[in-house]
Amino acid sequence: MTEITAFEPRIVAFLCNWCTYTGADLAGTSRLQYPPNVRIIRTMCSSAVDPVYVLKPLLEGADGVLIGGCHPGDCHYQTGNYKTRRRYVALQEILKTSGIDARRVWLRWISASEGQKFASTVTDMVTAMKELGPNPARENWAA
Amino acid sequence: MKTVIPVDDSDVLKATRRFLRSLMEAGVVEALYVPLETEGGAVLPALVTDPAMLERANPLAPVMPINGARAVSALTGKHTPGTLGAVLRPCEIRALVELVKLQQANLEGLTLIGIDCAGTFEVRDFTARRKAGNLDWAGYLSGLKGGMATVDGLPLRAACQMCVTPVAENCAIHLELLGSDLASGIPLTVADELGARLGLSETPRGEGAAALLPTVLEARRQTRTKELTAIRERMNAAGGLDELFASCIRCHNCMTACPICYCRTCLFKSTSFDHAPDHYFNTARRKGAMRLLSDTLLFHVTRMNHMSTSCVSCGMCTSACPSDIPVGAIFSAVGEQVQVAFAYTPGRDLAEALPLVTFRESEWTEVGEVK
Repeated sequence: MTEITAFEPRIVAFLCNWCTYTGADLAGTSRLQYPPNVRIIRTMCSSAVDPVYVLKPLLEGADGVLIGGCHPGDCHYQTGNYKTRRRYVALQEILKTSGIDARRVWLRWISASEGQKFASTVTDMVTAMKELGPNPARENWAA
Repeated sequence: MKTVIPVDDSDVLKATRRFLRSLMEAGVVEALYVPLETEGGAVLPALVTDPAMLERANPLAPVMPINGARAVSALTGKHTPGTLGAVLRPCEIRALVELVKLQQANLEGLTLIGIDCAGTFEVRDFTARRKAGNLDWAGYLSGLKGGMATVDGLPLRAACQMCVTPVAENCAIHLELLGSDLASGIPLTVADELGARLGLSETPRGEGAAALLPTVLEARRQTRTKELTAIRERMNAAGGLDELFASCIRCHNCMTACPICYCRTCLFKSTSFDHAPDHYFNTARRKGAMRLLSDTLLFHVTRMNHMSTSCVSCGMCTSACPSDIPVGAIFSAVGEQVQVAFAYTPGRDLAEALPLVTFRESEWTEVGEVK
């Protein structure tokens, strides 16, 4: 008898302390249901997420990486998320040019009051990553 | 002021040395960063304070052991202890502009002497040929006019063959070596005040460079487009990036040679990636095998993220690679995409902010929103 296991994407999420992490907390305290595929890492600001932290899980085989920050204009440190946005644009260009699937890296603005948006973002991302299938880097021994 | 440095007996090098000496003797600079020749025929960048040493100076030698921006960064830092002149090629000046923006060098008390550059050879090729005594020197100098790709069958460095910025910019003194008949004089552009201090006066001259340059640049541009397109195609093929870096021994030479990579506390020089033995075993168990050294691709793609906005395509990384990986073409291919996205040209203008330290509220408003 063979056991068929459905593909469950693993998503690493870097969430800013002031907005998206609090939003995720609100999703929890509000008892909103969302898929358990996300591993959350709290950072003080989305701009503290150096590309190397996104690339490490991506090249190790994580199926998706989510960066969550405050809405533009609402950064606790005034301008951090504007810089995150530019860095994300650069990262996307680099991933696209170098043949790494840029669709696996998402940036989303989710405020502390948007528990529902956090839950739906994770749900959408899990669906999208299921469509993409497993990250080929997971099997790649030669990276 | 536009003028001409007189050349006697077609000896361009001698005329250049005399001009550099005049800079020191007129007190314009106290020290000069310039390549010197050794007895054995090697050419080494050096800091010169004794004008007599300039008898060994050879900024025209088509070889570039280091990107001079690194040296100027070391010599200026936060405060320059004297008046300094630096003889730099166009890609060195552009890297220096980036280093100033990155606060790793300053232009205070610095006189930049820019020289046009038809291209340079790998150090080993240049040294071997000079030791054999048969480098066609006159051929190279006349090749400066046309901006050729080989001399005596010796190929220029890959980065030079596709260099589209061979003319020096952002310099106080500009030795216009490209496209002129140097035997009859070296065209020079210099700030009026500085020209007066050197006892120079406006001299009428022909427009040699203007006629030849477009043809050379067009050929170089085509080579660049062809090379970078080919690299992009290789990267986009399945497993392409792995294959490109398969022979990487992770010596970090590309990073060490890079004028832009200045961080003294680089993550990849730290112990961050010295994992515990368990990590290697677990990863190998999961994948069936694991490349050692680990994190090779991570190193290169992270470096793309950290420096490709400022990459000036000097190709020092390719020259430094012991495994002959076309690192420079890879970084130029990626860098160009990023630079286009931010409409940024590295090394062009000190007033242009580095793309990743600035922003506008109104830009990329669709990013981060649900599509």
